[in-house]
Formats: sequence, C-alpha cells, structure tokens
Amino acid sequence: MIRRYWLSAGLFGACAAVLLAVPGPRCAASTPGANPSALPPIRHVFLITLENKNYSDTFGADSEAPYMADTLKAEGALLTEYYGTGHNSLDNYIAMMSGQASTPQTSNDCNVFADFRQTGTAPDGQAVGQGCVYPAGVETLANQLMAAGLTWKGYMEDMGNDPARESATCGHPPLNAPDLTQEAEAPSAAVPGGDMYATRHDPFMYFHAIIDSPVCHQDVVNLRELKADLRSVATTPNFSFITPNLCDDGHDSPCANGQPGALTSVNVFLRQWIPVILSSPAYRKDGLIIINFDEGGNGKIVRSGNEIAVTVYGASCCGEQEGPNLGRKYPVVTIHTSHGHRVTETTLSFGGDRTGALLLSKYIRPGTVSNVPYNHYSLLKSIEEIFGIHEYLGYAGQKGLVPFGPDVFTHSR
Amino acid sequence: MRGRKGWFHSARMFSLILDRAFRASTLAKVRRLNDPEQQPMTRRALLLVGILISSGMLCAADRTVRSAPSGERSPLSPAAALGKKIFFDANLSASGRMACSTCHDPRYAYGPANGLAVQYGGPELKTPDYRAVPSLRYVLNYVPVWTHVQATNPIEQLTEANEVPAGGYTWDGRFNTLHAQAMFPLFSPVEMDNRSAEELAGKLSHASYAGEFRAVFGQEVFAHPAVAVNEATMAVQQFELEDRSFHPYSSKFDAWLDGKATLTREELRGKELFDDPNGGNCASCHLDEVGANGAHPLFTDFQFEALGVPRNNEIPWNRNPKYDDLGLCGPFRKDAASRDVSNCGLFRTPTLRNVAIRHVFFHNGEFHSLREALLFYVERDTKPGKWYPVGADGNAEKFNDVPARYRGNVDTTDAPLDRKPGDKPIWNEQEIDDVIAFLKTLTDGDMEDKESAAQTGPDASSAARPKR
Repeated sequence: MIRRYWLSAGLFGACAAVLLAVPGPRCAASTPGANPSALPPIRHVFLITLENKNYSDTFGADSEAPYMADTLKAEGALLTEYYGTGHNSLDNYIAMMSGQASTPQTSNDCNVFADFRQTGTAPDGQAVGQGCVYPAGVETLANQLMAAGLTWKGYMEDMGNDPARESATCGHPPLNAPDLTQEAEAPSAAVPGGDMYATRHDPFMYFHAIIDSPVCHQDVVNLRELKADLRSVATTPNFSFITPNLCDDGHDSPCANGQPGALTSVNVFLRQWIPVILSSPAYRKDGLIIINFDEGGNGKIVRSGNEIAVTVYGASCCGEQEGPNLGRKYPVVTIHTSHGHRVTETTLSFGGDRTGALLLSKYIRPGTVSNVPYNHYSLLKSIEEIFGIHEYLGYAGQKGLVPFGPDVFTHSR
Repeated sequence: MRGRKGWFHSARMFSLILDRAFRASTLAKVRRLNDPEQQPMTRRALLLVGILISSGMLCAADRTVRSAPSGERSPLSPAAALGKKIFFDANLSASGRMACSTCHDPRYAYGPANGLAVQYGGPELKTPDYRAVPSLRYVLNYVPVWTHVQATNPIEQLTEANEVPAGGYTWDGRFNTLHAQAMFPLFSPVEMDNRSAEELAGKLSHASYAGEFRAVFGQEVFAHPAVAVNEATMAVQQFELEDRSFHPYSSKFDAWLDGKATLTREELRGKELFDDPNGGNCASCHLDEVGANGAHPLFTDFQFEALGVPRNNEIPWNRNPKYDDLGLCGPFRKDAASRDVSNCGLFRTPTLRNVAIRHVFFHNGEFHSLREALLFYVERDTKPGKWYPVGADGNAEKFNDVPARYRGNVDTTDAPLDRKPGDKPIWNEQEIDDVIAFLKTLTDGDMEDKESAAQTGPDASSAARPKR
C-alpha cells in the first residue's frame, strides 16, 4: 500500500484571479480541493529540459537516446501523455516557470529581447500585452521559492563562454536589443570552446522579477557549477533548472562544435550528468529528477517542386487555453521563402504537441508508466505543490488542472 | 612576456577541438585546396601544406578584449615579434617583391593599397589572383571555425531556424585556423609561389632574423624544413593575433560608443538607415551592437550570403566563360560543403570597419567606390538593367556571375533585396550620403587620411557605369 504523504488541501492560499487589472497579480488562482492527496517529501527537484522531440522519436523502440529511452525509463516513471504548451521554444520555458501563455513574440522565440508591455491582466493571472520580458509584477516559481525560504538555481551550459555574447551569470542580451544568442557560436581563437548558450532556453531571463535582482547573478549560473553544488545537501538548491547547450539539448544537428547533436548528444549529456545527480547526497535524500522536452516536433512536410507545405499540429492536452495574447484564428497560414523554396506553414492549433517526460526518484517504482495527460502547466503546479506552495502561477492555477499524483509517485520509502 | 609554451597552453582547448574535428581529413582537404588546372601548385607543395596543417600544431590563440585600447602597447611574444618580420619579408616570395604585407598593407588597415580588383603574384608578379583582398583588421581572433549548424527538427529547419553557413577564414571559409590560412599564400602560384618547404625554409634560414628564428624555435629548426615552415606560419599567426595594430578600436564610432565623441546628425541618420530592418537592414549581417561585456562590434556576423554581385571582367580569369567563382561551393573549396548546391554563390560577410578607405568592394572587387557598392544594394532589384547586361529581349541578366541553375540561392527575401523592378529604391541620394557618413565613422584614427583617396563622391556613382 502506498504510504500517504499528502498535505492538506486546506493550506491553499487565498490568491484569487484578478480580472484585467494592472499591475498583474503575484499569483493566479488557488484550487482548493483539486489535489486532496498528499505528495512524497521531496525537497530537491532537478528539471532538465531538452528540445523539440516527439514522443515516438524519443521513447520509441529505435530511439537514438537509449540511455534515456531504455536505461532511465526502466528506473523511473514514463509520462506517455506529456505535452508541450506551444511552439516554438521560448513560450514553453516561460510556461514552465510562470504559467504565462504565449505572446506572438515568445512563440517566435523573441529575436529581439523586448520588454513586455502589459496592458492588463486576464483570468488565471495572465498578463495581457505584447513582448518578451515580463514586468516585475509577473512572478515565477523562483520568486515563490524565495518567498517560501527555499533555494533555486538555473544551471545553463555554456553561459558566458563568449562574454561579448552574454555574461557568465544572469546572461541575457541588452533589453530591447537583438538577441545574438539565437545562433550557436563555433569555436574561434578568442572563444576556444564556442558558445551554444541560448537565452531563449533560459526562462529566468524573461522576468524583471529576476533579472533586476542581485540574486540573478547568484542563482543563474554556468552548468559547470552544478558539480560543486551537489557535494552536500546544504549546498544543493531545492530547485535546479538545468539547460544543456544547443547541442546537448538536441536542438541542433550538426552542432557548432562539430558534435552530432540531436538525440545522440542528448544521450551523451544525460549519461554524463544523470549519474552525477543520482549520486548526490541531496538526490539520495529526497530528490526528484524530471526530464522533459519543451515542444514536440511533430507535423507534416509535403514537397512539390519549389513548393513546400508544412503542417504544424499544435496538439494540446489538459484543457490548455491559448491565453489572451495570441488572438489567432486557426488554422494559421503563413508563407515565406527558404533556400529558394516557397514554404507555406499551416498551424492547426496553439499547443506544443506530445513529447513525453521521464521522472526519477526513490518515490517512484522502477518501470512506472503513467498515461495521465500532463503539460508544462501541470509540471509547474506539481513543483509548487511539492514545495508546499499553493498559490499557483498563471495557468498552473487553471481550474481542474491535475498535478503529478499517485500515478507517478508509486513507491513508498 | 609570454613564451611559446605559454601560448600553446592558452590555445590548448581550441587546438584540441580543432584537432578532433579536422585532423583526420586535413591532408585530403588540403590536396583539394586548389584546382590544379587553374592554380598549378606543385604536388610537392600541396603535400607540404597538408603535412604542416595536419601536424596538429595549431593555433596559438590569444584572448583579446574587444574594446578601445588603453594606450599601452603590450610587448609581443618572441614568436609574434618574429612573425612580424616574416609578415613584412618580401624575400620569402618567388618574385622577391611580395610579402604578406604587400596585399595586406598596414597603411590601409591590412587591406589592399590600390584599386585593383585582384592582386598579381607569382614569379613575375603577373599572375592574377582570384578574389579581392579583404582587410585583416579586427576579425582574425573572432573568426569561428566553419560550420553549417542546422536545427534537428526538419519542420524547424523550414519554419524557424536561421541555418546559414558561417565561419572559416577567407571569402569561402575553407581555412579553419589562421595558421592554415597563413600557410596558403606562401605556396600559392598566384601569390608568393614557393614550390617546396625546402625552398621556403632555405629563404628563412638566410633571412636577417634567422638567428632569432633559431632562438625561438630551436637551433636545429632549419634541419627540418617542414617544421621550420610550420613554425614560421605559426609565428605569423601569433603576430596577427597579438599585435594591437590589428585591432586598434580607434575610430570615431568607437569613441562615440565610449561617450568620447558625438556623431553628427547626418551620421546618426545614417546609422538609423543602416539599422532599419525594413530599410537598409545592413546591421542584420554587419552587426553593430555593443556586446554584453561592452565589447565593440565587429560589423560582421561571419555568415555566408549570396548577393548576386555582377560578374567582374576586370578579373582575367572571368574572361573564360566556363570559369565561375561560386565561393562556398568552389572552385577552391572542395569539401562536403562545396557539394551542397544551396551553397553555390555564397561568400562570407566581411567587416565594414575601415570600409570607407577601400577601393574595391565585394569578393570580386566589382565596385570601386563605397557609393557604388551601396547603390548596388538598393537598386539591384529596382533597376537591374543598370547593374547587369541587358539582352536583346530587353531583360537584364540578373545575377550573371552565378550560373543560372544556382541563381535561386541569391537572397531576394531580405530587405533591401526584396524589391521589384520599378519599385522605389530603399534609399535616395541624400540617404546614401547619410549612410556613407556613418560608415566613415568606422575608419580608424590612423586611417582617416586614406578616406579622401577612396572614391566616395558622386563622380564614382554608377550613373556613368558601363553596362556589361
């Protein structure tokens, strides 16, 4: 019988949704009674977010990441119905950390690091406006953790390799300037290791509530610091967000440093880092590793001469809402030219498609498989609940949203 | 002062990466650097270059900060000091009259001193080169190795990513280290034209600095000609990386960035026009933003682009209708990149620093004034008959330096190259004046006297341009 660690739902806060008011609320909505069951006493969460893979590619029989698809899957819980919340990358990362839905700019990865101009607030704490970098009134999981006296860090591989591109801590482009980290930088005499850090895969950089604070330089650091931080429970943050570089997260193939990229490099990265985390005192004491993907890459490509028709499905789950800022009517059709071809892109909906996710913990029975639908908002709500935070951010507070539960945490210790 | 061991240590990581990526195939690549029919480098010389580049004794990287100089001149390492002497030594060429500095003249920001589309080398200095000489200022430390990064996801390749090849030294990016690039002209038949390592090492052993060479690289160095040549090119590389004259950051623009100068209204208007993504859109390739650490911009993104510059019949090789310079896909580059037809016609974006002192523009030196080069950008598509030969049917043969089958590679989607015949050019004459004024702010302090010699006035306008 599964031992019940579950907390009382009566601890939920009283942060109600605020309609169309500026500045935005610090939180979105509480959902008293949504999760009457308790959670295991996890106090250290490691979230590793990878890039752009379909569930079938990642976890299928012929996966090019066998360490993840076979070895780790056998040791943890596979969430077969985990979905991204948007396309392209950035809006997914923002959803995970703040519950904010896409804007036209974040869904296009914010090639210009532009301030978000807020004009109001919609239900579920959604900031209404356009842009990328949210005002200080829009908070993140990191802010919630600090308010609760807990610790967090973002570990960003390659950040600061080229200091002209971004600083080694809290690295982002100048506000309202082009984002030169959109493309990976190959090695040069001045930057021998190259620089494959991408700001758009570092969600913390898109919130004034973080980048305007000195803690940003303490808590958003290069991945190389993780090993030292893992040496003891005391030095390991309660929440660690780990972003591999554009090669190791599978985004690129081939990569700027000559590595193969795609799932092959994902596999190498996980094989290097997962054992390091698994053997750390904090993980062994009360840890949870979550490996997810920002968005799926599923769709259809039809070529006919110089014409290319691309269909992006944009599937979603869990009652996901588009949010107040896209205002699109689906299907959305755009036409552009690429390498001499006329590309017609048809997007059927606003979701991020099915990716799957993998969780590891001593509170998970090896070989667990859950077919319960989850998305990035579910993830955010789950982490909030794990840390006893019951004022859910953005769409994590969506009515009826289900966090990870006993279908995931299947093992008692 | 950093000795040789020191700069090897600092370059270790870079060298390891480059070794891993390129060592295995370098000899084969170097064998293909030249088309033997067009550039008859001797087999022995080719083999030598291959052995030297593949020796794994690669770059001595130097970390330099991209900012205005403090005024203090740090001494060169012994290798760099030696490399400086080699760089200026014309006795190392077959003609006895061509040094690295002949084409890369420090008096012209390490670019060409004359207005020739290509320079002439070989034993009599009568053999034409193939491409215009670029400036060596600013970029050498920051040229990334050649890559063509692509998004893994095929849909993202089509809908999201900017997947343009980038990096590598020279117009076609075929050299991944400065060391390899520096080796090439020493043995090129159209440049310094040495035929063997023995020949070049012999010249080095009789140079006035031979004793210094032995002191830096060992008393027995000349007993091994291939080693001596390799060390010589590494010394040149180190000179180019270390010497402040390659990156002085002394332009008015640099002073303006540091708050020590004021741009005129005309210059500021020019910058706005240069930056406007829906107008000139120049800054999308010629990056002009200050770096996160305050580094001053290099005015290049090192990416490749096909502009469709008209064929230049000033280049003797172009009189052969079967000869095409396709940049990234040949004739000199013959690796896998050259076999990707989508790369045909693409050349690497140069820096625009000191562009106002140049007399030749683009890879084939087709244009001889800055104004003409800018007019080409804004009128290429609105007045194609002005820039390309017009056939009997009255139609201009656009992109006539690119074979018809590759003309789809030429950029016709990014502003200002997305216009149609009859459209209004994105800039008028006044606006071109403004942009020229801005570009002149990129001229280094020690180069300002060269601006007047460069033809930037209306007389150089393409209005009087003969049609081809």
